[in-house]
Amino acid sequence: MRVLVIHAHPDLESFSRALLTAALDGLSRAGHDATVIDLYALDYPGGPTRDEWRAYETESPVLDPMVAEHVELVRSTEALVFVYPTWWSTMPAIMKSWLERTMVMGLAFTLDERTRLIRPGLGHVRHLVGISTYGSPRWYVKLVNDNGRRTITRTLRLSTGGKARTTWLPLYTLDSQTPEGRTTFLDRVRRSMEKLS
Amino acid sequence: MKVLVVHAHPDPESFNHELMQRVVRGLRSANHDVRVRDLYAEDFDSRLTRDEKRDHIAPPETKPHLAGYYDELRWCEALVFVHPTWWGAQPAVLKGWIDRVWACGVAWELPEGAKRLKPTLHNVRRIVTFTTHGSPWRINALQGVPGRRIANRSLRLICHPLCRTRWIALYSMDSSTPDRRERFLRRAERVASRL
Repeated sequence: MRVLVIHAHPDLESFSRALLTAALDGLSRAGHDATVIDLYALDYPGGPTRDEWRAYETESPVLDPMVAEHVELVRSTEALVFVYPTWWSTMPAIMKSWLERTMVMGLAFTLDERTRLIRPGLGHVRHLVGISTYGSPRWYVKLVNDNGRRTITRTLRLSTGGKARTTWLPLYTLDSQTPEGRTTFLDRVRRSMEKLS
Repeated sequence: MKVLVVHAHPDPESFNHELMQRVVRGLRSANHDVRVRDLYAEDFDSRLTRDEKRDHIAPPETKPHLAGYYDELRWCEALVFVHPTWWGAQPAVLKGWIDRVWACGVAWELPEGAKRLKPTLHNVRRIVTFTTHGSPWRINALQGVPGRRIANRSLRLICHPLCRTRWIALYSMDSSTPDRRERFLRRAERVASRL
């Protein structure tokens, strides 16, 4: 299965980076064909530009060759895996920027000219996976609505026609985790990705 | 009241930019002390840097390049956001302002051994968002209202314990008539003038 993994963390030595490695390890053990988009490594822009915004609802909304490449990757993938630290209850800005610039009209959804309502365009994506670390404990994350999780397992899932299966792998209270706690979680990520089918 | 308006839209000719101007007009008409941060206009970089991440619990003095942003966040009594809702939430550029400016020693502290950060942004007593949604309200409800909860819970919990929040939204923007949009602008200006 083709899997597209999107990663956002500015530090190559971060735990989030270790999670990316564990996820890729699990995916390759299961024989999946994984492609990684490492946003910070690509020096990915922090948001859509004025020209991109103006092009958004036109026939050709993609202006940047890198975005065109990512659009093709999304078109041909069966699973999307997001690996990131949760900041302020949601994904880092750079990853939100990736959603805004990549998931354009014609890919993530189409606009019905008659009703002016949007229709899902990611019907081919069967799996949505999130692997995220949180500074806060679970109860606090729930209290503030776990917004990154909702963005992926609800907002993005609507674009799959509500069909994609979702897997969420959270590690709460990252800062007070023991080395064993971290290792256990890395194993869990590896195993979970190995079982993705 | 001291009001910090934070705006994020890439197009100065957009409806959202006009919305921001009407909100500011409403605020000024009520003699509030208003400062505006137009993040796109100043080409704000939304990406938290590696060094900012590594020093994320270091005092704010270690990041002098952000001092101006820190000062105005500590200065304001009301925070007013004006932005379109994209993918259920704030535009990346605005999310980046939160990621980078709501820093340790400015908005929160992390005492030794604590499991959760300690809120310190007690100067903020109001958070008001003016936004537009492309989709109808029910789609946003299905999405789990992430944008609204980011502002009204995740950020709100760091502010004054009695901080009040509002979410003033125009839904179904994609299918709205000029008349409906104009009425929304008037409503936004009125709400702003009564803050």
